[in-house]
Formats: sequence, C-alpha cells, structure tokens
Amino acid sequence: MPNIDTNNLEQSLKQIIANILEVEPDKITPQANFVEDLGMDSMMALEILASIEKKYKLRIPEENLTKITNLSKVIELANKFLSK
Amino acid sequence: MLLKDKVAIVTGGTRGIGRAIVFDLIQNGAKVLFTYLKSDESAGIMLDEIKELKGKAEAIKADVRLYDEARKAVEEAINKFGKIDILVNNAGIIKDKALMMMEPSEWLDVINTNLTGYFNMAKACIVTMMKQKSGVIVNISSIAGVVGMPRQVNYSSAKAGGIGLTKSLAKEVAPYNIRVNAIAPGFIDTDMTKDLKQKDELMKMIPFSRFGKPEEVAKVVTFLASDKSSYITGQVLKVDGGLAI
Repeated sequence: MPNIDTNNLEQSLKQIIANILEVEPDKITPQANFVEDLGMDSMMALEILASIEKKYKLRIPEENLTKITNLSKVIELANKFLSK
Repeated sequence: MLLKDKVAIVTGGTRGIGRAIVFDLIQNGAKVLFTYLKSDESAGIMLDEIKELKGKAEAIKADVRLYDEARKAVEEAINKFGKIDILVNNAGIIKDKALMMMEPSEWLDVINTNLTGYFNMAKACIVTMMKQKSGVIVNISSIAGVVGMPRQVNYSSAKAGGIGLTKSLAKEVAPYNIRVNAIAPGFIDTDMTKDLKQKDELMKMIPFSRFGKPEEVAKVVTFLASDKSSYITGQVLKVDGGLAI
C-alpha cells in the first residue's frame, strides 16, 4: 500500500476533482457541495471515482458513488479504501 | 470471430432464444456467463456442450427480478473474465390471459421478470461499462411490445417498457461509448410458443409463412454486439419474417 500523507492526498484529490468539474482548485473547499456549488452531474461523479481508483490503484465499489458530495467526504472515502 | 476476447452476460441462457444466443456468441469467440433460474441440470449439460466446442462459459443461478442477484451475476462475470463488454437481457416469461381474467400477481410477475429484470441487469453492469468507456447492451423485446398482442397486456407492456428503457439509456450512455439496442422477435419456435393455439391463423399473418428459428434471432444479437454495428444505438430491430410491416 502506498504511504500517502494527508496533505498530499488532499491536494491530489482536489486537483483530480478540479480537472473533472472544470473549476479552479481553490473553489473546492472541504464543504463546498459538488452538485449545488460546483455543477457536478452523475457522470462526473463516476469520473471522480474512476480517477481515484486509477491514481491509487484501488477498487472502490460503485455503491460509494453517492458519497461523492464534497471534498471532505471524498478524502474520507479515499482514506477508507487506502487503509484496506 | 466477430467477438474475439469479448465478455458477455446472457440472462435466461438455457432455453429458447437465450440458448441460441449463448451458442452464437461462443461460436463468434466471446466468453459467456449465462444465468438461469431453475434447472442446474440443463445449465450443466450446456456447459459441457460449450466445452466440446472449445468455448469458455460460466453459468450462474440467478433470479434477475432481484437486484442483488443480478449484481451477483455481474460480479461473477467480472471475477471470472475481468470485464463486461456485452449484456444481453433475454430472460422472460409469459402468463397470457385476457385482461378481465388476469390476476394482479400475473401482471406483476411478468413485469418484474421482463422489465425490472432488464433494469436490474443494466444497472448492475453500467458503471463497469462506463469506466471502460465501452460496452454494448442488447435487450430482447418482442413484436408484442411494438404492435400489442391480445391476451398479453402484461407481456406487451413489459416489452414496450424494454423499448423505452433501450431508447432512454442509449441517449444517456452514448457519451461513454456504450450502445444500447433492442431486438423485437416475432413468432419464434421455442417452448414459449409451442402451445400457441391457431398456429395456422398466425402463419397467415407472417409474410414468410413460417415461425423464425432461435438462431435467426441470435445472429442479430451477435451483429448488434459486434463492431459491425458501431454506429447503431437506441434502435429496435424487428426479426419477425415481416409480421409487423
């Protein structure tokens, strides 16, 4: 399992999400809602999930798609599967 | 080998049209996982026959009316074969009766298998296909869903529903390079049609004056599953000997 420090993880996830949602990384605050504040649709949610899986070589079951709502939830999700 | 190294799931694979589809996909080089509801024995015999053809197949007992079982079948295909390229929604039942005699349970049984089953399987596969940025879904509908058939309000409704599902999903997942099409068979020689009354009368309605063979539907499934149909999506292809012209 790769050893990833928390700050790095947050920055990397922020960058992935910013690219997919096509917004400035600064707008992705921990609590900014992806759908309401940043215009995410369900297809983008899937792209975020797939990109995280690819970058960290994880398998995150699709039932977790509904948890992709804000940065802090995504960090939580990534941490959960990185620690498995 | 139109489907070399492709992985397919076929629901209701041990009988009738489903069985012919499994064999046609295998003969075109696909690896196939097929589901069945009842007979372990028929599934076992089929796997032996496929082995003799040097084909690769798995069978799983699954009730597609239940999402969890549909999901289990899809997981099994991914575990065994690593991906899913093709889903063929085929499992179906009939409970024909005049509406005034039809029990609500007979309505629901047919809707649950023939429509909800299609939804369950499509939902269970779709995220995998979207991540792959490729995939093909072929829904076996029926001419009954296109023109309506007496004594089949349940079946015709479910099959028409399958066409709606096909068109809607085709638009939804086209950006992910996933194609979704339906086939509407007419009268095909299977267990499902063997007890039909007044076959001679029905034959008069068919320009080809005969029932179709399951293999004649299966070949069209292979076409729609292959790259030969790479620009076709959201369509309902009638395979009916001209019945619904």
